[in-house]
Amino acid sequence: MRDSDVLDKNPHVSRSALEAIHGQVFGWALSRSHYDPVVAEDLMQQAYVELLTGKARFDNKSSLKTFVFSVVQNLARSRYRRIASRLRLVQATGAGMAEDVVQPVEPDDSAALWRAVQELPRRQRDIVELVFCRDMTIEEAARVMGVTTGTGRVHYDRAKKALKMKLTDNGARFDD
Amino acid sequence: MTDSDTALQDELREAQARAERDHVPDFETIWTAATAQAGIVRRRQRLFAGSAAAAAVVAIAFGLLVSPEEEWRYIDADELLETTVWSAPSDSLLPDHQFDIYEDFPVLIESTETYGGPLL
Repeated sequence: MRDSDVLDKNPHVSRSALEAIHGQVFGWALSRSHYDPVVAEDLMQQAYVELLTGKARFDNKSSLKTFVFSVVQNLARSRYRRIASRLRLVQATGAGMAEDVVQPVEPDDSAALWRAVQELPRRQRDIVELVFCRDMTIEEAARVMGVTTGTGRVHYDRAKKALKMKLTDNGARFDD
Repeated sequence: MTDSDTALQDELREAQARAERDHVPDFETIWTAATAQAGIVRRRQRLFAGSAAAAAVVAIAFGLLVSPEEEWRYIDADELLETTVWSAPSDSLLPDHQFDIYEDFPVLIESTETYGGPLL
């Protein structure tokens, strides 16, 4: 870590370290934004702003990747909470709303595996993505999701079983 | 991880990579935008802190310069010491009544009789 690289308000974070995990964080932001790349970019930018201003402070207790994933997860949650409350307000007042014309990225919908993952409950989908695609341990994934490790394990086991069952039904073989 | 887990992981990772490929934005672009936004946030925070500090200084200065002419008291010591008579607060529901602590209270304390009705 070069000294000039370190963020003023976050002494344990460097620009180069963030650049190294940029692709993975974007993937996570993409899945948090229902595969809307514009929203994902916005989430990424907000996450970097939080790190630059010190609002999100990394204390080196976990890995930087886990920490940045948590920041993105929290930002996505608060974003959708805001949107939901605005929608409720619009519905209550009966006012119209401009249509969002951004086309979401379709993550290879033809793949049976992807469809199976998308059909999983939200928590199971998240832990599968974090452990299988983002190279996290169950403990790290649970931290990002804001659940205990025990709960993370339960979601992980259920997700694996559900996925194997769905894929076996579709003709794939997953013998232990 | 079992073999089946590994197979599942490989397949899933490939599907995910296919989904994200060509969509990862340039780090430099996002970082530059974030740095600019962080600068705006910091300037706003400094402005807010400066305004709050200025308001506090003005409030303290005002408090020091403008001292109250007379301190307001609930009990007037002179009034208490000059007389032995105390007038109960009264209104239409509570008729005027005056007590003299030397004349009325000894009777009230020593007597076993009722004092002829309510005290006030």
